[in-house]
Amino acid sequence: MVDIALTVNGAAWEGSPEARKTLADFLRDDLNLTGTHLGCEHGVCGACTVIVDGRAVRSCLMLAVQAAGSDITTIEGLAPDGGLGTLQQAMWDAHSFQCGFCTPGMVMQAVAFLSDHPDADEQQVREALSGNICRCTGYQSIIDGVLLAAERNRER
Amino acid sequence: MAAIAAERYTGASIKRSEDPRILTGAGRYVDDIKLPGMLHAAFVRSPLAHARVLSVDVSAARALPGVVAVFTGAELEAMTVPGPDALMALMGWAGPMPEFTLLATDKVRFAGDPVAVVVAESRYLAEDGCELAEVEYDDLPPVTNASFALDPASPPLFDNLGDNIARTHSRDEFGDVPATFADADRVFDFRIGVHRHQNVPMEGRGCIASYDADLGVMTVYAATQSVHVTKIAVAMRLGMEQDKVRVLAGDIGGSFGLKIGASREELAVAAASRALGQPVKWVEDRGENLATSGQAREESFDVRAAVSNGGDLRGLDVKMVVDTGAYPGMGAMVPGIVQEMFPGPYKLAAFGFESTGVTTNKASYVAYRGPWASETFVRERILDLIAKDLGLDPLEIRLRNVAPRTDPPAMMVTGRPLVGVTTRESLDRIAHLVDFPAFRRRQADARAQGRYLGIGVATFIEAAPGPRPPGGPSGPMGNEAMRLRLEEDGIVVLFTGQMPHGQSHQTTLAQIAADEFGVPFEQVRVVVGDTDVVPFGLTGGSRSATMTGGVALHGARQLKVKVLDVASQLMEASARDLEITDGQVLVRGDPASAIAVGEVARRAASGQFGADVDANLEVEAMFDGGEGGWSGGSHCAIVDVDVETGLVTVERYVVAEDCGALINPAVVEGQIRGGVAQGIGAVLLERSAYDEDGNFQSATFMDYLMPTACDVPRIEIEHLETVPLDADVNFRGVGEGGMIVAPPTMVNAIEDALSPFGVRIYEQHLPPARILELIAAADPGQ
Repeated sequence: MVDIALTVNGAAWEGSPEARKTLADFLRDDLNLTGTHLGCEHGVCGACTVIVDGRAVRSCLMLAVQAAGSDITTIEGLAPDGGLGTLQQAMWDAHSFQCGFCTPGMVMQAVAFLSDHPDADEQQVREALSGNICRCTGYQSIIDGVLLAAERNRER
Repeated sequence: MAAIAAERYTGASIKRSEDPRILTGAGRYVDDIKLPGMLHAAFVRSPLAHARVLSVDVSAARALPGVVAVFTGAELEAMTVPGPDALMALMGWAGPMPEFTLLATDKVRFAGDPVAVVVAESRYLAEDGCELAEVEYDDLPPVTNASFALDPASPPLFDNLGDNIARTHSRDEFGDVPATFADADRVFDFRIGVHRHQNVPMEGRGCIASYDADLGVMTVYAATQSVHVTKIAVAMRLGMEQDKVRVLAGDIGGSFGLKIGASREELAVAAASRALGQPVKWVEDRGENLATSGQAREESFDVRAAVSNGGDLRGLDVKMVVDTGAYPGMGAMVPGIVQEMFPGPYKLAAFGFESTGVTTNKASYVAYRGPWASETFVRERILDLIAKDLGLDPLEIRLRNVAPRTDPPAMMVTGRPLVGVTTRESLDRIAHLVDFPAFRRRQADARAQGRYLGIGVATFIEAAPGPRPPGGPSGPMGNEAMRLRLEEDGIVVLFTGQMPHGQSHQTTLAQIAADEFGVPFEQVRVVVGDTDVVPFGLTGGSRSATMTGGVALHGARQLKVKVLDVASQLMEASARDLEITDGQVLVRGDPASAIAVGEVARRAASGQFGADVDANLEVEAMFDGGEGGWSGGSHCAIVDVDVETGLVTVERYVVAEDCGALINPAVVEGQIRGGVAQGIGAVLLERSAYDEDGNFQSATFMDYLMPTACDVPRIEIEHLETVPLDADVNFRGVGEGGMIVAPPTMVNAIEDALSPFGVRIYEQHLPPARILELIAAADPGQ
């Protein structure tokens, strides 16, 4: 057990997770933030992507104790009050998803990418999401949702 | 949610009601559920493909703090009752029935075969416990391919069978096979193989079993395509009465055929929960999913084709061998469907088909999206090979052989009427959407510059649901049930046995019922995933569009009749003069008369109408598929093959498909694109690989390569809705077609690209290394 303090979705947390516990398991088990999904537990599928200090991170490859002092955003913290942010709304409008299992990681990866690349074109979006595996959709609807969100962001 | 303005919901790309939850992390997948006192299971698994188990020592695991219990195979056997695979029992399998236990006792049969289950306070501790288990094995020669398995000298996986035959050899003939071959201008021989690959839903298998010893009730939170089939499997294997088992399911992270019934591991978890009186959760990790959940498709085909000089395919004679892996299930049964579908939309005069299934020391064969799809792969592949030999164009040979749409309809030589099949139309649409002459010019120019472009076409039909058997008493897919109820707050509730895992049933079924009953979309709720309240059903075989869409339509119609009967009492008007619009019952043409449907339900429940009026606003509807019909379509791919690296890029992918009337075009297109992506992955990337000792070589996503956003192109889709057969229900299934026809489309395009090298392709898996081998081995003179 290691004492840590961190911030998750704006709320401060202090406690002592087991040293070997991954950040993903910590978020899911200790904080009940089950929106973060585990799809491979070896860093390839991207389903567990969360934002740590502004960067998209695979929470299955990071230990909870390594996140000490960090500011973490999960899918639950993306839009307050249970609403939908611009990207989530665009993905709903674009019929982006089917089973929904890859969704949280895909959304978090795309949010982090769009904040750095607001003018991204389709190929750039495809490359940015190429580390997130979806088995249902063939990706086109997801890419369309991200591009729609980027367009709406620019129109603001 | 804002009200949706649409004249009719059916046919519009209504936004999914599932999405607001899913997009905010509020989905509820089985691993998200926590129960008080819940324990966690992990499995001790065999590192060997084939071995006798000499001893299992779990004492050190039991002694580990945090480990609550360890059950060996022998202990589990004593806690359960023997029985057949639930799916085989359900489908009435009458072939060889191997005897085996949930966890291995006397022997292990593939690398990853479960030997013992460790139950602990956390998954981490359960895995620690697995590390401490000592299992002694005595190696047996592994049976890792079908040709060895067919050898009577191969060591049998199952002692009670005595050999490795999982499906005994059978042969059927349709039409006059010998005469057709004797009369043929040309007879071609091909040997075509399809490689082993697998479902890989992003969420693996998993469950929580929670046994209440006081009530004697088992509750299972499952990830399943059918809560009822899972219930039957659990009740059978645990020796419980079915009413003592309740299966619940929430969101499910994909399946594609994998999650039917209950796996050996899930049954072991249920038995462990009963023994311990505590909830036990098991969710497989990706390594378990890839190595042990099941794999599909490893099949070989020896094909003889009787062809006229002009390119008429007159007869086929096919010998199929399926490698069912270790524990026979779907693999033993699949040749029956392959046989029935093999002629496709073509006018064959004669067809011979024989098949054998073998057991091998690999993970078990499971259903994967279009389990019979190899018939389309082989048929569409040999058509191109024959066309090449005869100097015909791929479109031309198909158009030449497609059965014409006639009245009465042409019959498949295997017996089903090809009623309403639009293969010709979809091929024509492909020819219209893709300028073939222009492509051929571009291809020639590119070749002159050392670039190799190729175009491929393939076509398929799927019995989703299939035509109504002529004169048959029942429909093409049996019956589908639904319970529908009007609540006092005006909500129309549909209880369905469908178990969506990405198919969007909560949206699509609500669209149909809202239109038919006359309420806003938001006023319909679709209840799934609880054996206590939903009727029997299964999501699979692309059945839900017709079968469940149909029962939603007819059920809503029946419910509406009941509601109007009650309203006619209330409004003192004839039911014939009443209608329901936008959730209001009104006398036609008199808006002032309107009362809300909820008010009708409240008044009905009040008992004011007495015994003469049926005031129970609930119906049990049943639908037999009506006239049914075929789904189908044609696909076209244009690929660019880099002959230096072997890399294949899909430049363009065009789909002309016919699934009848569309319920929700965005949902339909999502199903097609997802299937095509899996087909592209199957050809370019995915393979469940074993070495010659039966060691599994692709247990991570670094080894089992999944298609990414950079591998799958934008897919152009055009819908055909040409032939309605039923008065009311012409929605047809679209779940499997993309995966059925994308592999031959891709391979046909790749072979076309490589035709200057004389490459001929008789297989499905074409990663870069294999492309380079094919080029190196080819005879440019061909």
